[in-house]
Amino acid sequence: MAMMKLDMSALETNFAAPAIDDCDGTYFSADAADVPSMVFPTCADFDGFQAATKDMVKNKKGTTTLAFIFDKGVIVAADSRASMGGYISSQTVRKIIEINPYMLGTMAGGAADCQFWHRNLGNKCRLHELSNKRRISIAGASKLLANILYSYRGMGLSIGTMIAGWDEKGPGLYYVDSEGARLVGNRFSVGSGSLYAYGILDEGYRFNMSIEEAGELARQAIYGATFRDAASGGCVSVYHVGPDGWKKLSGDDVGELHYHYYPVQKTPVEQEMTDAPSTSA
Amino acid sequence: MSIFEYNGSAVVAMVGKNCFAIASDRRLGVQLQTIATDFQRVFKIHDKLYIGLSGLATDAQTLHQRLVFRHKLYQLREERDMKPQTFASLVSALLYEKRFGPYFCQPVIAGLGDDNEPFICTMDCLGAKELAKDFVVSGTSSESLYGACESMYKPNMEPEELFETISQALNSSVDRDCLAGWGGYVLIVTPTEVKEHVIKGRMD
Repeated sequence: MAMMKLDMSALETNFAAPAIDDCDGTYFSADAADVPSMVFPTCADFDGFQAATKDMVKNKKGTTTLAFIFDKGVIVAADSRASMGGYISSQTVRKIIEINPYMLGTMAGGAADCQFWHRNLGNKCRLHELSNKRRISIAGASKLLANILYSYRGMGLSIGTMIAGWDEKGPGLYYVDSEGARLVGNRFSVGSGSLYAYGILDEGYRFNMSIEEAGELARQAIYGATFRDAASGGCVSVYHVGPDGWKKLSGDDVGELHYHYYPVQKTPVEQEMTDAPSTSA
Repeated sequence: MSIFEYNGSAVVAMVGKNCFAIASDRRLGVQLQTIATDFQRVFKIHDKLYIGLSGLATDAQTLHQRLVFRHKLYQLREERDMKPQTFASLVSALLYEKRFGPYFCQPVIAGLGDDNEPFICTMDCLGAKELAKDFVVSGTSSESLYGACESMYKPNMEPEELFETISQALNSSVDRDCLAGWGGYVLIVTPTEVKEHVIKGRMD
């Protein structure tokens, strides 16, 4: 019986070949390494240029995103602030990226990097579906992304993402980052506010929860992180991924959420001054 | 991040009709982590003179203590309160004394003179005085504050309108700053009364 070979041709990347015809020997030729490649800049000091670019795009992952698996699927939540040093450049960034109707990715790190590579991942997943007549698994999708990011390791991409979704094996959650790590797990939080979110998430987490309870836990964890972390804020978006795909549960402004959790107490009046009763002359 | 952005702050003062307003945010942080949301940055020197200190929080507290000490000595010797212009010169001299190892603070001074004429001024961390007739700002949100005050300010505002204006200017500016905010503290001073308000803001 002949072995059925999976058709992988759709998964080849073919970005433009490096336009370095006058290779002066300081950087490798892409053909030899069989690595997907983008155009390299022509300059005298390639390594110095790379170091300068890395510093320029360094975002230090000022954000809070989290995702966890429970008995009814996966909850994915994120804040919506983008900051440049101390300045808030936007309070309405969409950090949960809809890769396809049953898979979500979160954005932490460089916004351009995350948006581009998630869309690229979505393309590859669709090509896989068309070639193989079945949806790609979450493990497979995260592996595709992780391999691409590993090949660009050290070149200054800044991505800390979680791939969450539902496939034939049930709910799936993977953490993938630009250093090349790919971890499977049940609970993750990524970004500068992640430690604050973990504090609330780990305390309230149970495997058996209703969808509303799980959504509320995620909302409180992100809210807590926006309160303590200066680089997180804006709105909390909470998504749920079930067997039929993802659905957005809520999007709440954090400014209003604070006064919802901690309403302003009217200070009790101890002594009140009133006008003296007027005496008729 | 620079030393001025270590704690994060926003201070603004505005002149109205025979009154002035001075306001600050309430956050105390250590770089990106928020430690407190009730930190005091505006200090009273005497009933008609207030100073707001932005920048490094420890220097703000130390400078405040030294200034209170100097003013109390002045009161004992002269048997009266200091005029705002004199106080501004005192602060400027105190800051320049530390020219080669400065206090990392930018003060905002606001007061009512003898004839109840409002006086505001700001300084950089080395004591360069900048007098203004309308508003002065300092802190990590100073650029946003300049924009907000420039568009919202009108001369000769009554105390109630001045309160609204300064609160809106402060809130909208710190909403564009990661390191300042988490509520606001506003003081309106007229010749007869002082009103302090704690204003609700975004807590993120």
